[in-house]
Amino acid sequence: MLAELGLVLIAGLKFGSIYALAALGLVVVHKATKTVNFAHGAFAMLGAFATFLIVVHWQWRYWTAYLVIPLLIGAVAALLEFVVLRPLRRADLFTVVVATIFLGIALAEAFRLTYNTELLAVPGLFAGQPFFVGGIFITREALWVITGTLATALACIVVFRHGKIGRGMRAMASNVTGAQLCGYSIDRVYMLAWFLGGALAGLAGVFIAPIAGVSVELSIAIITAGFVAGVIGGFDSLTGAILGGLLLGVAESLAAAYVSSAMKNCISFLLLFIVLMWRPQGLFPERTGRRV
Amino acid sequence: MLAAYFPRRLKPMAPALFALGLVSLAGSPAGAQERGITASEILIGAIGALTGPVAFIGTPGRDGMTMGFNEINERGGVCGRKLRLQFEHASTPAESVAAVKKLVEQDKVFVLVLASGSTGAAAAADYVRAAGVPTYNLYGSTPIIREPFSKNVFHGAIVPVEVSARGLISMFYDDGYAPKKIGILAGTYAFPQATLKAVEEVLKEKKTERAVEQFDQAARDFTSQLVALSRQNVDSILVLGSFSEAGFAIKQAREMGLAVGRWVLDGSAVSRAIIPILGNADGIRGYFNVPYFPGQTPSVREFEARLKSYLGSMPQGRPNNYDMIAYGAAYVIALAAQAAGCELTRDKLLNAWSNLKDAGPAKLGGLDVSFPESYTPSDHQGNYRLGAAIVKGGEWQVYRIIERP
Repeated sequence: MLAELGLVLIAGLKFGSIYALAALGLVVVHKATKTVNFAHGAFAMLGAFATFLIVVHWQWRYWTAYLVIPLLIGAVAALLEFVVLRPLRRADLFTVVVATIFLGIALAEAFRLTYNTELLAVPGLFAGQPFFVGGIFITREALWVITGTLATALACIVVFRHGKIGRGMRAMASNVTGAQLCGYSIDRVYMLAWFLGGALAGLAGVFIAPIAGVSVELSIAIITAGFVAGVIGGFDSLTGAILGGLLLGVAESLAAAYVSSAMKNCISFLLLFIVLMWRPQGLFPERTGRRV
Repeated sequence: MLAAYFPRRLKPMAPALFALGLVSLAGSPAGAQERGITASEILIGAIGALTGPVAFIGTPGRDGMTMGFNEINERGGVCGRKLRLQFEHASTPAESVAAVKKLVEQDKVFVLVLASGSTGAAAAADYVRAAGVPTYNLYGSTPIIREPFSKNVFHGAIVPVEVSARGLISMFYDDGYAPKKIGILAGTYAFPQATLKAVEEVLKEKKTERAVEQFDQAARDFTSQLVALSRQNVDSILVLGSFSEAGFAIKQAREMGLAVGRWVLDGSAVSRAIIPILGNADGIRGYFNVPYFPGQTPSVREFEARLKSYLGSMPQGRPNNYDMIAYGAAYVIALAAQAAGCELTRDKLLNAWSNLKDAGPAKLGGLDVSFPESYTPSDHQGNYRLGAAIVKGGEWQVYRIIERP
């Protein structure tokens, strides 16, 4: 019974940690630019596709995917911010959100048209016997995904809280005019936020490619899970994004195992509605204080 | 006398206009009044998804039929008329209805082909029955397009779910295997649910124990469902879903060390594309809607070569059974038109199609890559057979033909 519960929890944590990484990228962009980037799922899909190219098509070493893809997808995101979003900076929020939705659709369809296939399979980084801990087994892949994504997420929080880049983004999020008066360039900070968000999406794509394959539908799956995780955790909280992602993954897994297997997708939207109604700021919002 | 009916200004031209009318009537072939037919062409309309998650059905539908029609046209067509395909993209029910209406009312096609799977076929069902246009349902297994019976709707290679359900269960008992309890992993969407219902009926009849777990479309994590099946001590699993869903379910079951004596997959999961997901897929079984798997016989290999030449390069996962079914369907349409005679009308076509026997590409010099189809005036299901397939040495192959139960 305990072993069964352990299996279910580990599966939930595996997917939950990827949701957390996806949510983190969304929150980073939102914190700095006040824009919800609905193209985020498409960036993750491109990351997964790039993993297929590197690992399967070109047969390079797997670690190159972890190094190259975040930088590459980050650069693509920054470029799109420059080309598509910057001209819309003075537009209302609705216009910008619609632009990101259609940017995501355009990227997904461009992938579909150039690589017309239902699913591309990517092998896992690790093979071999799973580890057994107290009667519960955990595969090497699951362990890598959970620890790798969470370590990345924590590093991202440290950079955002204590690094110069993060300071600029936080300043911009707090007060755009004030930040500009303090010498922060709005163009530079926005582009950096998009780069960081894109890099996190790309990395989520690398992690998810072997466990979900590469398909256009991945784009929708990532943005949906990332958005729900972000709302559950608190859309302005980096820690909330991580905890929201993990909570979502575990809740989905538990509901499917112990309530009904058909409840898996349903539970995420149920959680979303409950949180929006009961605690719209999210379960783990950023604490805001002002020194006076 | 006729000149009396012409306006005064046209009266001098009346004899000439009258003669022109007679000449044009005499010069037009019989049947020119029929929609979608000219002296040189028969217009076939088709719908199917060319983009989106079910493009793996619609795109092969378009390509297979076009290739078949091209071959028939190169041999002179039907009574000197070339067959021309007009394919409209449609993936949602609303798009399917709109596309069908456009083809029938605006483009005035002679025959309509539903190459859209069950969703599109179900959406278009009422309209095509009411319109009376000869309709060929290539891929829809849904009962909505089959019932009530309509004299203008024909169904090709894809068998009704009651037939495929019996075929699926029969594969659990091949080679002396006898499952004690069958676990069923079924998608929550329309097609797997229809098959699930039929499969449960068959298992009830056979008094075989079963356990059912479900998953959402495009699911990638099956841990919870597999844990639940393991708890219920199943020794064999049937997956009703796509190849990607089946692939990840089997992969995770192996990672969990779940002891599954036999995996059987629904026809929609029987694809070469499942093999890269699993690495070693040997021993997995499922039914195929055509008698041979790509690469299995010289005629199928020749088909692959021709398709590759037509497409320029072969997309991943192609050719699939939808390519082969569509190619065969092009020949069935041509054979029905040929049997109707050169004075082609809609009624003559329906009558001829309802009496076709063993219609397949070989009868017109094509490659036999699909089951031959036979119809009667009261049964418009052209095929009832399935190919029982297994993965051996990393390749799918049909190991026996499942005859009509």
